[in-house]
Parts: sequence; C-alpha cells; structure tokens
Amino acid sequence: MDDYLVGVLSNIGIVSFIALSAWLLLLTGEISFGQQAFFAIGAYAAGIATALWGWPLGAALGWSAAIAGGAAVLVGVPTLRLHGLYFAIATLGFAEMVRLLFEQFHYRVMIDGELVGPNGSDGFRGIRYIFENDVGSLQFLALIYLLLAAALAGFMLLERSRLGVAFRMIGEDDTLAALNGLAVARLKILAAGLAGALAGLGGGLYAHLTTYVEPRVFDVMLGVHSLAYGLIGGLGTALGPLLGVVIDIGLLESVRAFAGYRMIVFGGLVAVLLIVRPRGLLDEALVHRIGRLFVRAPPAGP
Amino acid sequence: MPEVPVLELKDVSKHFGGVRAVDGVDLAVARGEILALIGPNGSGKSTIVNLICGLFPLTAGRIVLDGADISDMPMHARVSGGVARTFQNIRLFGQLTVWQNLWVAQNSGEQRRQGFGRRWFGGSRSARGEVERTLEFFDLAHKSNELAANLAFGEQRRLEFARALSAKPALLLLDEPAAGMNAEEIDQLDNRIRKVRDDGVTILLIEHHMELVMSIADRIAVLNFGRKIAEGTPASVQANPVVREAYLGTPEQV
Ligand SMILES: Nc1ncnc2c1ncn2[C@@H]1O[C@H](COP(=O)(O)OP(=O)(O)OP(=O)(O)O)[C@@H](O)[C@H]1O
Ligand SMILES: [Mg+2]
Repeated sequence: MDDYLVGVLSNIGIVSFIALSAWLLLLTGEISFGQQAFFAIGAYAAGIATALWGWPLGAALGWSAAIAGGAAVLVGVPTLRLHGLYFAIATLGFAEMVRLLFEQFHYRVMIDGELVGPNGSDGFRGIRYIFENDVGSLQFLALIYLLLAAALAGFMLLERSRLGVAFRMIGEDDTLAALNGLAVARLKILAAGLAGALAGLGGGLYAHLTTYVEPRVFDVMLGVHSLAYGLIGGLGTALGPLLGVVIDIGLLESVRAFAGYRMIVFGGLVAVLLIVRPRGLLDEALVHRIGRLFVRAPPAGP
Repeated sequence: MPEVPVLELKDVSKHFGGVRAVDGVDLAVARGEILALIGPNGSGKSTIVNLICGLFPLTAGRIVLDGADISDMPMHARVSGGVARTFQNIRLFGQLTVWQNLWVAQNSGEQRRQGFGRRWFGGSRSARGEVERTLEFFDLAHKSNELAANLAFGEQRRLEFARALSAKPALLLLDEPAAGMNAEEIDQLDNRIRKVRDDGVTILLIEHHMELVMSIADRIAVLNFGRKIAEGTPASVQANPVVREAYLGTPEQV
C-alpha cells in the first residue's frame, strides 16, 4: 500500500475513536464540544508512558484510556448537572482549559543524553516507540483497526444490552427514563467515562502514530469535527460516526477536487443534514428498517 | 386496626406562581383498591400525579408511600419504591421498539439486587418471558419489533399502560387512560384494569369517562380548583350536590 493511503487510513481510524466518543454522549442526549480534551490527555499519557517511563505500548494505551476515562468521570460529575447548551459550553470551556494547561506543562527527563517529554507550547517530541520497536506503518495500521473493531464490537454488544437501550432512553427523554426507574445522573456519568476512555485510547494511538504532539492540535475545531461526524453519520448505529469520518477525511480531505473547499463543503453538509436529516444519515428509523431485512420474520402462529 | 395506606397525601399543595394547582389536599389510597380521581379540566388531577411521581417538588405537605416519606426522593427511586405512571399525553420512547420499551422498563426488586453486569448486560430468560407475557396481555405481541413511534394511537395507549406495568408497581397511576379511545377499546381497558387490580396492584385512576369510573372504582375523590371537595363510594359521590354542581352536572358530561 502506498504511504499516502496508509496515512489516510490511519488518520480515519484514529479520528474514529474521538468521533465515537462524541457520538456516545450524543446517544445520551448530550452535546459535547470537548472530547478533544480527553484525546489530548490520552495522547500525553500514552506518550509519557512509553517515552519517559519505558512502558510497553499495550500498557500505555490501556493507561491512556483509563486516565482519560477517569478524567471524564471527574468532569462529568459537576457538568452533567447542566443541560443542553449549558453542558455544551461547559465542555468547550473545559477542553480549552486543558489545552492551555498542556501549553504550560513541562515534564522533561534526560534519556540517552537527550531531554524528552512535554515542553509546554513546543509540544512533546520523541515518542519514538514504533521506530525503536520496528513497528511498521502497516502493522500500526492493523493495530488501530484491531482496536477500532474491538470498540465497535463493544458497541454492538452495548446496543443489544439493557444498558445500551437505557442510554438511548435517556437521550430521547430523560424524564421518562427516570420514570422508568433509571438512575439518569449515574448512567450519564458512566457514558461520559466510557466516552472519555475511547477518546483517550484514540489519543494514545495518535501520539504514537505522529511521534509528536503539540497542544495546538487539540483545539476546538477537533471537538467540533468529532461531534459533527456523529451528526452527519447518524445516531442509529455506531457505524454512523465512522461514516461521518470517512466522508470528511476520506473524501473531502483526501480527494484533490475538494482541496481548499473542504471546510466549506463540510460546513454546508452539516447544515443541510441538520435540516433534512436531523438525526443523521444512518438514523434510528433507517437502521431499524435495515435491521428488519436481516431478521427472519417470526414463525407463523399455530 | 386499619392497614397502612399504600399512599398518603398529607396537606399537599402545589402552586405555579399565582396558580394554586393543588391546594391542601389530603388523600389516602388503601391497598388493593381502585381510587378514581375526578374533577373538571384544570382542577389539579395531573398535577397530583406529577407530584406523586416526583416530577416537581411540593410547595407544601408530605407524600407518604407505604409509611415512608418520599417527598424528597428522586423520580427513579420512587419507581423502585413501587410507583409507576402513565401520561395523559402519550409519552413513549418513539425511536425504540415496543420490545425495548418494555424490557428496560422492568424494574423488579430482583433486578435491582443484581450486580452491575447481570443487571445491564444479562438477558435473563425470565425477563424475556415477562416481556412476552406483557405483550400478550396488551395484545401487542405482533408489534414487538415495531418502533413505538410507528404504532397506531390505540396501540400506543396500550404500550403506555404496559410500560408502566413492567416496573411491577405496587401503586399504578393512570392519567386518563381512556382518552381518545372508542367504546370497544374502553371495554378492553376496563377488563385490563380489573385484572391488574386482581393481581394485587393498587390503582389511582384519573378519568373523565364517567361510565368507566362508576363501573370500576371502589372509591372516588373529587377535585375542584385544586381542592378536594368530596370523597366516597361511587353512589355517594354521584348523589353529592356539590359534585353535581362542580363537575358531574355540566352538560358536556352527559
Ligand atoms: N408545569 C406547570 N406550570 C404551570 N402551570 C401548570 C403546570 N402544570 C399544571 N399547571 C396548571 O395547574 C392547573 C391544574 O392543571 P392539571 O393539569 O393538574 O389539571 P387536570 O385536572 O389534570 O386537568 P385536565 O382534566 O384538563 O387534564 C392548571 O391551571 C394548569 O394550567
Ligand atoms: Mg390532566
């Protein structure tokens, strides 16, 4: 495969994690513009773990998911009391705060005669795990998609579980959900934690793909895109946000014809879709209809 | 010695700004009975249901369930305590299937005691069987995989009732379950309410359909302008001149 294609596919895979993260919150009815904060936390955490502490990649990725998930729970406890616009703005404020903190974050260690580690707004260079361990770009691509497949499998399981249905109930009508006996606040915090962990895992992969992270990357635009992917792709299935990512990165960013017009086309697409298909391309009704094609009709009565 | 009532409202008030939607109401619902709550439009019936299920806080008074004060309990805890309701205006999860609406509404004590994994990821056979039986009872089995939003009006009404019942309540609050139904549907509703009562569920029924109320209620309480103006057997309430003046005598109810 040529390098360009591997690069695009890696990108699509990694961005899918943060798109899924924002989508999971959308499912529970919350709009977050701040999932990039957890992506950033995961990126720094995983980078520090391999480059500074000498951890193996697997442990570092687990750690990035855990710490980002934990951070999301801590942030979720106060912010999820807010609703709608107020929650959205709180997430945005939090994410900007995290970005500014990383601009001040210095943690450098002398390794092999060289200072390595986060260096404020200059970023964090030298996350060289995949070079030092001879992980090829195709191999890393396989790792990304393996983890993405695992995440999707998790979502498929979730959709069939009470918990998944409960998340959707909360998203559709949280008062009625509470009147169904669901502890809405606790379940929302759980969703926020899972969403944070997903974004953190994506961040951990990102840090090792690029070998270098800087706070600038984790700006509001990343959060807005992540959210938009789910809105474009649809709320009906976890494949929705992935479709959104493929449309944006696979089509608009990578095809020459759209060069220079990406943001215009993307913004227009979001605006049009919000009007004609407010719950996205793969919305619940469509997913339900497709699902029925694959489920055998119930056996006829006696 | 009289049994502890399932539900007691003690001097309950709810004011919206200057509107005294509910104003110093005392009401006790005895175990196993069907208590009908009637009264003119805007007399505070739905507000009482909203207060019992915790949709908004009381202005004054206390609500006692099974002897325990639940006035400050959050909504979901009251469901666990045994209170379930339907809505006057149908309120369902339209983007979920009929099956899903019922499955996740299940909230028996047994389920609440299960560990996190079993409760949220386990698909126990008994829970599925329970959904099947509820579907049968409400004649919705053929709609099991349909999105709730795609059901006909009468089916949605049945699904509401079914959803509330799936929580295995001790006390069921039905807010105008017959609204918009035809005679045959009301007949079926009448049968279902009786069967549910016979299964040991206490029912607070709010209804404008007097024929249904008079046939089914053990007792009736009458509200007017947020105040309770009468309470007693169907016969005594029907004969009460104050009630006739305030409600039953109005021409539209003939
Ligand atoms: N959330 C609310 N905010 C403000 N006022 C309210 C609210 N809910 C009810 N009210 C007012 O309280 C009064 C009682 O309303 P409620 O809905 O309880 O009447 P009801 O007896 O159920 O009437 P109906 O038979 O028409 O259903 C009305 O004047 C209504 O406008
Ligand atoms: Mg009402």
